[in-house]
Amino acid sequence: MKRYLILEDGTVFPGIGFGSSVITTGQLIISNIRTGIEQTITDPNAEGQILAFSTSAIGTPGINRDFYESINSRCKGVVVGTTIGSTVDGTIPFENWVGSLSIPGIKNVDMRALSDHIAEHGEMKASIMDTYDEHAKDQIKALVLPPDLVKRVSTKQSYPNPNIGVKVVIVDLGLKYSILRQLSYRGTNAIIVNYNTSVEEIEALHPDGIIFSNGPGHPENLPNTLKNIQELQTKYPILGIGLGTLLIALANNCDIETLDMAHHDSSIAVKEVASGKIDFVNHNHSLTINKSSISNSNLIVTDICVNDGSIEGIRHEYLPITGSLFEPEAAPGPSDGYYIFDEFIQSMESNKEQNRGGIHKW
Amino acid sequence: MAKEIIDGQTMTRALTRITYEIIERNKGIDNLVLVGIKTRGVYVAHRIESRLKQLENLNVPVAELDITPFRDDKNDDVNTNKIEDIDIDINDKHVILTDDVLYTGRTIRAAMDAIMSMGRPKKISLAVLVDRGHRELPIRADFIGKNIPTSQKETIKVLMKEIDGEDRVEID
Repeated sequence: MKRYLILEDGTVFPGIGFGSSVITTGQLIISNIRTGIEQTITDPNAEGQILAFSTSAIGTPGINRDFYESINSRCKGVVVGTTIGSTVDGTIPFENWVGSLSIPGIKNVDMRALSDHIAEHGEMKASIMDTYDEHAKDQIKALVLPPDLVKRVSTKQSYPNPNIGVKVVIVDLGLKYSILRQLSYRGTNAIIVNYNTSVEEIEALHPDGIIFSNGPGHPENLPNTLKNIQELQTKYPILGIGLGTLLIALANNCDIETLDMAHHDSSIAVKEVASGKIDFVNHNHSLTINKSSISNSNLIVTDICVNDGSIEGIRHEYLPITGSLFEPEAAPGPSDGYYIFDEFIQSMESNKEQNRGGIHKW
Repeated sequence: MAKEIIDGQTMTRALTRITYEIIERNKGIDNLVLVGIKTRGVYVAHRIESRLKQLENLNVPVAELDITPFRDDKNDDVNTNKIEDIDIDINDKHVILTDDVLYTGRTIRAAMDAIMSMGRPKKISLAVLVDRGHRELPIRADFIGKNIPTSQKETIKVLMKEIDGEDRVEID
């Protein structure tokens, strides 16, 4: 069935529909990943987004059911060039899978023209529709994207991910399961809580450290979480990932700005400032921290993106607070960033030791 | 058989984190003196020094400390063990002792005696690359690269580029 991808500025890209046939609207994101489609589509970050995959052929390795990042997909639609229906080792063909999740898709879209257009004009809203008359264009122009994206994806109720190691409270702003997988692998005793959980409730859990997770949307939409960070950051080691890091920056008087060219790829080079070492890590963000504002704050830059020099990692000068804008848990992408979890666990243990006054566990 | 438990990259990261933690807990790091315990503790001290220089652009003096005269397992005549003073004034300074492995704590006890014999520092902290447990004295580290639970039968071997040609930690 012929369908149309209509952008906010009125540009129309024709294609062929697959998956669900509903009319959909959302923020159009150009993702440059080549594999790990299932991880990107099930990532809660995709809440309210239409994902366009710029790679020419999608679905070559099939969909692996072990690579989900949430129970249900949050994505509003997928835009692709060619799809390939292979089923390597019993994986699920891409188009069938999108259909089974009731996500509307559109294929045979000129992805090079679309990527170029977005690179030139910046990220914008888009819609997948059956027609492209003036009425449809007016509709998408008038569309206001919901500001409560985090509320929709954050867990309603606290739940544990038990193990025997250090105790971490994870504030769920749109948590990817791979963060839990990495923490489980390291024996961390985690409790996942709603994004609006009060400071008192978090403190009552007596954590060794707190993680503010990745998530969709703008940090300014989360004033309560922001206040919580300001209060908690003097008491516990904190790790930020993605949106969590932006919140930490905002809580420490930094400004947030939009990247000229958004980072959506599974392996972008990041340089560690201290050692000059290059890591290839998964990026999935359109926002960054303003550079001049960070020099007037108590935060220091620990990692920068090699391509455009934007800030990718921060640290507090006097408090055990770190954050990365890239996604250390990968999923998809190389495992270069896993050390962030090791370092955070070591930081919690070291802090525990300090507060405990020297009583050893051995 | 020796098994690698820390590779070069992890060691660099651990030392970088220790440096960040030193900055964290010493708001403004004037008044700091790094004292490395011979042999590998000295290299640890120099690595931390160069990171501090790079990250905070501050020069922190580094001293080398030979603790042999202060060891508790030596029966030699005290006169043959010449005590060498370090050439930095440590009076009223915050001394950070650095060593590669923290084990029984006896080396650190000796190092503290050595420091005390040279002056009266305001504070002594301890930074180690590896804490393997089994303390025999009430001593703990303030900055730890990595906690490695070990049995007393095992040996931990720290290799550093400056003397061993590569960075790694092995357990045997």
